[in-house]
Amino acid sequence: MSLATLGLLARWAHLGLSVAVLGSAAALLAAGRSTRPTALAWQARVLALARGLAILALVTGALSVAYQAANLTGRPGAALDARTLGQVLLDTQAGHVWLLRTALLVLLLGFLAFRADTRERADWLAARGQALGLAAAALALLTAGGHAAAVKPGSLVAMTIDAAHLVATGLWIGALLPLALLLRAASRPEGADARPQAVLAVRRFSRLALVAVLVLAATGVGNAVIQVGSVAGLVGTTYGQLLLAKLILLIPLLLLAAVNRRRLLPQLPGDAVTVGRPAMQRLAAFMAGEAALAVLVIGLAAALALTPPARHLQPTWPFAFRLDPAVLDTAPYLRLQALLGAQIAVLGGVALLVALVTRAHRLTALAGGALLGALGLALLGSALAVDAYPTTYRRPDVPYQAASIEQGARIYDQHCAVCHGITGTGDGPDGRGLPRRPANLRAAHVGAHTAGDLYWWITHGIPAGGMPGFGERLSEEERWGLVNFVRALGAVDQARKLGPTVEPQRRRLVAPDFTFAVGPMPAQALRDYRGRRIVLLVLYTLPGSHARLAQLARGYQLLSMLGVEVIAVPRDAAPNAIRRLGAETPIIFPVVTDGARDIVAAYSLFGDAPHAEFLVDRQGYLRSRWAEAGDPRRSVNLLLAEIQQLNEEPQAAPADEHVH
Amino acid sequence: MRLWKVVVLVDLAVLIGLGGGYLWWGRQAARLERELAQAQTAQVSVEREWTVRGVVRAVLRESNLIVLSHEEMAGYMPAMTMGFRVAAPQIYDGVQVGDAVRFTVRGVPPNVVLTGLERAPAGGGNR
Repeated sequence: MSLATLGLLARWAHLGLSVAVLGSAAALLAAGRSTRPTALAWQARVLALARGLAILALVTGALSVAYQAANLTGRPGAALDARTLGQVLLDTQAGHVWLLRTALLVLLLGFLAFRADTRERADWLAARGQALGLAAAALALLTAGGHAAAVKPGSLVAMTIDAAHLVATGLWIGALLPLALLLRAASRPEGADARPQAVLAVRRFSRLALVAVLVLAATGVGNAVIQVGSVAGLVGTTYGQLLLAKLILLIPLLLLAAVNRRRLLPQLPGDAVTVGRPAMQRLAAFMAGEAALAVLVIGLAAALALTPPARHLQPTWPFAFRLDPAVLDTAPYLRLQALLGAQIAVLGGVALLVALVTRAHRLTALAGGALLGALGLALLGSALAVDAYPTTYRRPDVPYQAASIEQGARIYDQHCAVCHGITGTGDGPDGRGLPRRPANLRAAHVGAHTAGDLYWWITHGIPAGGMPGFGERLSEEERWGLVNFVRALGAVDQARKLGPTVEPQRRRLVAPDFTFAVGPMPAQALRDYRGRRIVLLVLYTLPGSHARLAQLARGYQLLSMLGVEVIAVPRDAAPNAIRRLGAETPIIFPVVTDGARDIVAAYSLFGDAPHAEFLVDRQGYLRSRWAEAGDPRRSVNLLLAEIQQLNEEPQAAPADEHVH
Repeated sequence: MRLWKVVVLVDLAVLIGLGGGYLWWGRQAARLERELAQAQTAQVSVEREWTVRGVVRAVLRESNLIVLSHEEMAGYMPAMTMGFRVAAPQIYDGVQVGDAVRFTVRGVPPNVVLTGLERAPAGGGNR
């Protein structure tokens, strides 16, 4: 058995035992105080069970931490090495959490072993409440050493959600087995004295479990949003698939619980011999069945805890299609079908609702509703479906950066321009003989494809259209460079429509990121200004731009005060750019001496005049463009008006480096 | 003693223990931070000297300033573009905008002056 399997088993057992300890305490509290012999015998049994569970929880907890040590250091031997274990316990957060939880479990165990006088109500409540509190704290603290603690920012929210999820699990799942024992004891002829208590206990538990299930659903959704975050992450990563398996296992568990609640619970107080006792026996068996299913669910939860969260993984999309509402923008003829499908589906939903409330024709309404719903969803789905590939939702390995765009542009000229055309409009000389006209990469639809789609086509080609794959000729980095270049190309027409004034309603274009250095200063990135300053990017050519740069230099103090950084980029990428600006007007804003070539290559796509200025807002979007050959007539005051406009704007969502 | 009293006492002890531990840890962290801050101010309260690379951005003789885009000055300031007061007029000799230089700043921060400036060897310093 491999180390990872052992670690998973230890984690599984520990999680299950911690849940069971809390549930035992909850069951004892739900059953209430009693002096009847059967109830007392059951209490003693559950207490003994809880002690045993707590001891096993301590043992499996120790195994779990030993596995963690082995996993962290990468040596199986570390699991038994006292020094390494000491380091893990004292120097890591998971170690601190483990120490605290172990202390709580030991305290709980001492408490359970302590045979106290609980005849008084206050004493009884104190004893049971204390056990519940300690067990709940020990279980809830598990989250502080798990994925939730690593969420940034907002780890406190994530941990609270996860802790509530754990405690709700304990109260529901953990109490099933002890209560099944009580029901079994009460269903025997000699256990008649415990029957009223058993019925009361199960009723209380049923209400508690309903609340717990609602809490579990809400916190489960919260956890999924935090750790998975997307449909692609759910179906395309190990973490997401484990979560789906957990959800599927939950369906029979919840069905069983619903049957217990609706069918068996009302029968319990019925005539003892004919209704009550058989119902109790069946309920006990069903609850034991629920518990058995829950053990599997907890196993999946343990596996999830040991799997990297989906948010940090690259999803592999498993289907050949995806649903994209944006299709309707580019293909209006599908709108009618989508509308029809949606309306039929709504009709089906209404029929299903009717089936829920009426008794007459219930079956007809149910079947009709299901049929209409399926038909409507199929119509809607087929209207919105677009082709998808395993890499569709892959996040680019190389961000949307000037250097990558420049690299992509060079590769494009070499490999792609023959068919797609030098300017990307799909009119290259070799494209004419192909089965399908090469795509016009300047068209708006390019933006509707994900970066992963483009990556797939570049890698594997489009056989039906005659496009070859470049997976073997180009490295991954080069292919991502092409993706970034095509993305920039798709933005060209939009960018060239940008005028010198900021238009709030215009679609936002992401400004490609870039790195630059001024003299010996360490390299900076455009991204560093996100959320802090507006950037006026100036691509200049001497001597035409001289007057304008001097004008900006004179206004620099005011611009700085209004939150603007000016970054001047020489079009010729001269390393001695600062000297060439001369000493006449002191220019102290950054003048790029390193990295200019990539910036010029990328931003020339958006404006290739000798002198071009781009205003990038605090969220990283390109907002205005002023490209006229060395025209100094535009005064700084006009620029100030645009900046004022940006400063007054409400904060928009920050730009994403990745496509979509 | 009645059990509920024992429970209350045990819980109080646990809470006081946890709270005390947290406070002790917090004070420890605050003390360490204070010591770190002291160590840093102690460093800058004596006269020190930094020699770093930079590029001349402006020469403002009338204000007795040379503006430089420079590297980090360890323990004093990060890389930035700023003006330095010049200690002696001969330092201005031959300095031109755009020169890649190595320069020396001396003083007790924030009162520092530029005491020396030499052209960096050709080819180096601009990367």
